[in-house]
Amino acid sequence: MGDCHYLYGNYMTIKRITFLQELLAFLGLEGRVHLAWISSAEAQKFVQVVTDFTEKIRALGPNPLPAFSHNKKAAASEILKTVMGHTPESTAEKPPHQAGHLQ
Amino acid sequence: MECKLVPSICSYCGTGCGVLFEVIDDNIVNTLPMKTHPVNEGKLCIKGWNLHEHVNSFMRLKQPLIKTFGRFIKADWDEAIGLAADRFRNIIDQYGPDSVGVLVSAKITNEENYLAQKFARAVIGTNNVDHCARL
Amino acid sequence: MQQKVKQWLEDGTIDVFLGYKKMDNHSLPHCFTQARIEEVDDLVISLDRYPLEKIAAHMTALKPDLNVGMLARDCNQRALNVLYIWNQLNPDQIHPINVNCCPSPLKEQADCSYLKPAAVGGYKREEGVDNTFQPEAFHEYGQEERLARWMYEFQKCIKCYGCRNICPVCFCKECSLEHGDLIGNGALPPEVPVFHLIRAVHMAGRCIDCGLCEDACPMDIPLRLLYRKVNEIVTQVFDYKTGTSATQSPFNILGDTVTLEPKPIQLSGTDNG
Repeated sequence: MGDCHYLYGNYMTIKRITFLQELLAFLGLEGRVHLAWISSAEAQKFVQVVTDFTEKIRALGPNPLPAFSHNKKAAASEILKTVMGHTPESTAEKPPHQAGHLQ
Repeated sequence: MECKLVPSICSYCGTGCGVLFEVIDDNIVNTLPMKTHPVNEGKLCIKGWNLHEHVNSFMRLKQPLIKTFGRFIKADWDEAIGLAADRFRNIIDQYGPDSVGVLVSAKITNEENYLAQKFARAVIGTNNVDHCARL
Repeated sequence: MQQKVKQWLEDGTIDVFLGYKKMDNHSLPHCFTQARIEEVDDLVISLDRYPLEKIAAHMTALKPDLNVGMLARDCNQRALNVLYIWNQLNPDQIHPINVNCCPSPLKEQADCSYLKPAAVGGYKREEGVDNTFQPEAFHEYGQEERLARWMYEFQKCIKCYGCRNICPVCFCKECSLEHGDLIGNGALPPEVPVFHLIRAVHMAGRCIDCGLCEDACPMDIPLRLLYRKVNEIVTQVFDYKTGTSATQSPFNILGDTVTLEPKPIQLSGTDNG
């Protein structure tokens, strides 16, 4: 930290990346953003990080977003169906909790 | 400096959303949705949100233009209406009244829409009347 | 309140006062001036909220030495603080009259964050995101379900830019949401979820949780929940409280240094929902 060529660069980067990781996790896209500090002299580390991350992404599977953008609303409904294991209309038991914590 | 917030109705379609114009020193600078309006309840579409832009736009047409040899030339209303009437007359004489259609719009009033269909049926003699908001 | 406004207008403390006035049973924002001081008697605290500070910013942009008084709820005050911090308004020129808004039995010092949201329809509850959720409650869904539900909401977007236009703290001349390379032109819905995420990221350290965006959304997207999460991250990770902290947000260029460390890659346990 702090020895970035652009002085404050990596401080700003980690702030934004940390924020983004949290936000994407909230939307259900966890683990697809990763940040590591690698100097241009650390070839070994670079290879290691890239290999690890590739493995991880492979395990996560393809990016789910295109499915949503092409098939429009039907896709969201379909995916929700598979996720929940039944059609949304027929649910009576679902919502995991009652909403609206309004104090 | 004077700032007025003028309630008005969006002129883009027949829905009639309530808008508030932010008028600073006689210039419309912004549009806000009217929260208490029964039609839109504080919501607007993108056209409504940008109502203020066309009022002072330099692209706005302020007088009729006649296309002559591929270029638009400024004209006065008598000239433009005369030309349009002549061309309509020619077309109707040559191809019959059903070769003309009248397309009206939600941007004009009910009465003007009525006049337009009357014009189509009684003057031109066609039933080709349609409206941009025929949903 | 009326007395104070009249006095301010008469002794020249303020040139204009932004408040609300009943007009044919609609309470509309109104600009009170000394020339028509008798109107001040009709000044009301309306339950319908408009971004008054945005109007003030428009006026002072045209006339920089204008003194503006305005009615300020808690949310207006937070928005004012943010606009002061980002040099959009000069605190010396703004004279807020603080009012306690939205009285509710739940909280004596209630502000709009605690207003009871409208009930949510059944279909939305099954397929989409309930507007009444708090971020933690929504997080109880599984990862894939969270994504599916948000995508359902985002796909409804008709790209009216209402959320940005009504936002009291959105003041940029050039907006990333209009950038052709980031957001494609002429397609509906706008590229999901990029449109909403760009706005969410830009709201970090800005959003004051006034809820006007969700109010203005014609498609009823639970934007407030999204930006609440944004605020929660900003508060928890950066210890920055938007609207009350006195400095620019940690995302500012040359912001404070931080002690965060990159997170290690976790090969298992990706779903912690």
